[in-house]
Amino acid sequence: MIFIFLGMFGISVGLIFPTISEAQTEQKTFVTHTGGVITTSGEVIDPVYVESTMEFDPMEYLRDFNYGKVSTLPDGTTLREFTIIAEDDKIMEVSPGVFYNVWTFNGTVPGPTIRATEGDLVRIQFINNGSKEHTIHFHGIHPAEMDGVFEIVGSGGGKFTYEFRAGPVGVHPYHCHVMPLEEHIVHGLYGVFIVDPKEKRAPADEMVMVLNGLDTDFDTENNFYAANTIPFYYQHHPIQINTNELIRVYVVNMVEFDPINNFHLHGNLYHYYPTGTDTVPSFYTDMITLSQTERGIMEFEYIYPGKYLFHAHKVEFSEKGWVGIFLARDNPSKPIEDVDYGS
Amino acid sequence: MEVSKKSSKGKIIASGIAPFILLIIMIGYIFGPGSDLLDLGTPLPEISLEKIEFSESEIHVTVRNTGPIPVEVVMADVNDRIQPAAIEPDRFLERYETALVRIPFEWNVAEPYIIGLTIDDGTRFEREIEAAAPALKPDLEFAGFFAIIGTYVGIIPVMIGLLWLPFIKKISKSKYHFFLALTAGLLLFLGIDSIEEAFDVSDENLSGSFNGALLIATTIVLSFLGLYYTSEKLTGSADSLKISKPVAIGLMIAIGIGLHNFGEGLAIGAAVGLGSIAFSTFLIVGFALHNTTEGLAIAAPLSRGKSTVGKLLGLGLIAGAPAIFGAWVGGFAFSPFSSVVFLSIGAGAIFQVIVIILKWIREEGDKNLSSAAVASGFALGMLIMYLTSIII
Repeated sequence: MIFIFLGMFGISVGLIFPTISEAQTEQKTFVTHTGGVITTSGEVIDPVYVESTMEFDPMEYLRDFNYGKVSTLPDGTTLREFTIIAEDDKIMEVSPGVFYNVWTFNGTVPGPTIRATEGDLVRIQFINNGSKEHTIHFHGIHPAEMDGVFEIVGSGGGKFTYEFRAGPVGVHPYHCHVMPLEEHIVHGLYGVFIVDPKEKRAPADEMVMVLNGLDTDFDTENNFYAANTIPFYYQHHPIQINTNELIRVYVVNMVEFDPINNFHLHGNLYHYYPTGTDTVPSFYTDMITLSQTERGIMEFEYIYPGKYLFHAHKVEFSEKGWVGIFLARDNPSKPIEDVDYGS
Repeated sequence: MEVSKKSSKGKIIASGIAPFILLIIMIGYIFGPGSDLLDLGTPLPEISLEKIEFSESEIHVTVRNTGPIPVEVVMADVNDRIQPAAIEPDRFLERYETALVRIPFEWNVAEPYIIGLTIDDGTRFEREIEAAAPALKPDLEFAGFFAIIGTYVGIIPVMIGLLWLPFIKKISKSKYHFFLALTAGLLLFLGIDSIEEAFDVSDENLSGSFNGALLIATTIVLSFLGLYYTSEKLTGSADSLKISKPVAIGLMIAIGIGLHNFGEGLAIGAAVGLGSIAFSTFLIVGFALHNTTEGLAIAAPLSRGKSTVGKLLGLGLIAGAPAIFGAWVGGFAFSPFSSVVFLSIGAGAIFQVIVIILKWIREEGDKNLSSAAVASGFALGMLIMYLTSIII
């Protein structure tokens, strides 16, 4: 009887004990949502506040505009030549520790930002080095055979040359248009095509933000959201801007599965040009709602220096990565004192 | 002659070993270097969120790699919103390895939560908690609380049940057989109850890779055989151990019931641990009523032998006290795997006791198991248990 007692007691203690005393070695700390500091003997897994470096650099992409190889045709037209290569075998770390098979134009998601002036002749040499069929379908005005829908480009080195006049003025997406379309888009085959007006826009600090999502477990729900692919990136690496300087953001929504996305700016409002096709802004707001491939141009200036969030006000998206910070530095050439507050 | 005998012995050994050697060679060939013969398909990783506990400003998740390949746990979320977290000891999990994920989170009592973990290939695994409740700390206060509950549920009812002993001593042989059969009926119900509980725990908390159903079946059979063998030895050598055969049988019944009560303690402890306190007061009243009949089960064989008060108390403790230990384990260190194992051991123990009682009835009563007393007793035992179980 005593033995049974002791046995039972031993088993009970043995099962309880490991949870009471965990070996406390090598403490690490991290900060939580609510500002609490947590100490752990293990590892911190935190894509939200822990800075990380990824293969793809959204900061480089942000202000990287490709104008192509420029030449002038006999009739005076500017010719811009680009080469875009599609691949679909790349495994990329998209969030710390999360590896996802991205399909890319020129090795990145989003693909290169292509930029031309209205009326330019755009010639894109497309090479499909992927294992599946791909195309490039540009939004904009062009002949039917340049639409990248019916002219499927075969895998393993298939080629096609897209040629059209740049237009209309604005910001447009381009993406692969092979079925199943959703699959080709969510894996990353998309990019931005900017058509500048001939008379040029006002000088500004310009940047491109593609709002996208990543469905890493293929359940037709996005596991991550971001501006420019990497979740929380611009929160860890605030975008440096100057006060009293015009900021122009070309924003394109490429999120699939969720019907809408939106863009909220803190401490400011912006002039919004839907699709960028008009020179007069349609809205002065801090909140726009974007459906699939809906896009536009945002223009704003900060008066006060400091950190300003921008994020989806669909909070689920921002808590899964679509959040960033503008760090507005005081612009010595235009100090705050010089700003006329009216009256 | 000697030599040929030796060589034939060698042949026998060789022939017994040869299949093993061939098997080893085959396995070596399949897994050996350069053999990608059977390298078909993609193994899918899998993790199981085995236990989720809510402590002050933190959610603790015990995660186990239950898939065929090693994984890395890289992200935690609460209600599908990404949260910073810590993982101890580290994020790399080999097969069957576990880790503790700590998610700082200001959770609200009684609200439902879905906790998710994402692994390196981007797959997210989740588990839903119907109502968050603070986890118990293994302090003396709660240990004492569980000891009191265990006493109410296990020891006191069994002791009360034992008070039927003088009554059973005075009744006729057929009535006595009726009570023995009643005991067997009670126990059969408890055995089935334990199995059902084991399946519940297995379905809710245990990953498929543990083969819950076969784990339960194997444990029951092993427990049954182990205790059956022990009890045969014990009753066989009862005289030399200076205990009478009825006491030996009583002891085996007490051990079987004790193992069962350990399982009941687990259930109570886990219920309190999961915060369903109201539910567990019900559970306690039900178990107390239920367990009084267990005292009867021990008293029945004892009535035909000499037994001292001390022995009775001892048997009562063996049967009842494990409820306390069970409550401690269930409340402080609930582990689905050990719960399933203990519940199955309890079931095996009970079935073994039933066999002993039926044998005892046969030996006592003219080799007859189909008398009206036995049949009605057995049936009534099941019925009583069913009716008292409704209260739980």
